[in-house]
Amino acid sequence: MDASIFLSILCAMAWGTQSVLLKKAMRDIPLSTAILITLVTNFLALVFMIGIGGGQGLSAFVDIPMLICFYFMIAGFFNYLLGRALYYSSFRFISVTQSTAISSTYPIISVAFAVTVLGEKLSVLQFVGIGLTLCGVYLLLMKGKK
Amino acid sequence: MSRLRGQTESVLASVCFGLAPIFAKKGLLSGLNPLYGATIANATALLFMILFFLAARQHKGWASVTKQGLMFAVLAGLCNSVALVSFYWAMAIGKVAIVVPITCIYPLFTMVVAYLAMKESEVIDAFTVIGTLLIVIGVVLTI
Repeated sequence: MDASIFLSILCAMAWGTQSVLLKKAMRDIPLSTAILITLVTNFLALVFMIGIGGGQGLSAFVDIPMLICFYFMIAGFFNYLLGRALYYSSFRFISVTQSTAISSTYPIISVAFAVTVLGEKLSVLQFVGIGLTLCGVYLLLMKGKK
Repeated sequence: MSRLRGQTESVLASVCFGLAPIFAKKGLLSGLNPLYGATIANATALLFMILFFLAARQHKGWASVTKQGLMFAVLAGLCNSVALVSFYWAMAIGKVAIVVPITCIYPLFTMVVAYLAMKESEVIDAFTVIGTLLIVIGVVLTI
């Protein structure tokens, strides 16, 4: 098997498993503590990766322009803080499977932005994909309603 | 009511997850190594979270943290880190067109792991299986 495919599957498995572990953790610890622990662990892992040669070393941070930093700070606020807080919070009210599936539809938001703001055109397959995704979300939202 | 709140939160989470790559992509257009971008993004969230913790006096809640809860939270964080690192590694050595769709199948793993590990609270019925499959196929076709 190609190494990149193996790593991609490993990534999907790890992403898929972390939400179940988090839900188990949130039985015993508050939401904010759970988010803080995952952020600290992620931060240490990323710094470790850069430290062992995953980039040009830690000193390279100094050379990153402020505007580029600002873009990533906004991305971090939306993804790692707001998105993660809402995602983990939803575990308290609905099943982790339902929450993960619904929140995994985020590429549709990016595509919607690309179409409406950037004026990009969608292919037929993308239209089909959006339709299937919306059907899936509808099924999950309807789950347990009756 | 709580069910509606959970569903609304997961939809809003999706919106936030969808907005983030737009800004990240703007940053990556400069040619910056994605690891640095991810670290800046993570550090920003961590800083905000620490400030929130101090301002809302959440640190008092540490006293009620159990060993089991802490262990699961750290394991979740480690899983997240493994996912982040393997994603960037795969992107570095493989084709984006292959790596991204494969990583998008993670809700299927959640469904299986939840079924195996949380049988008492997770109801995996036909709605869940078909809904999750449709979302995964739909997302893979869209990206």
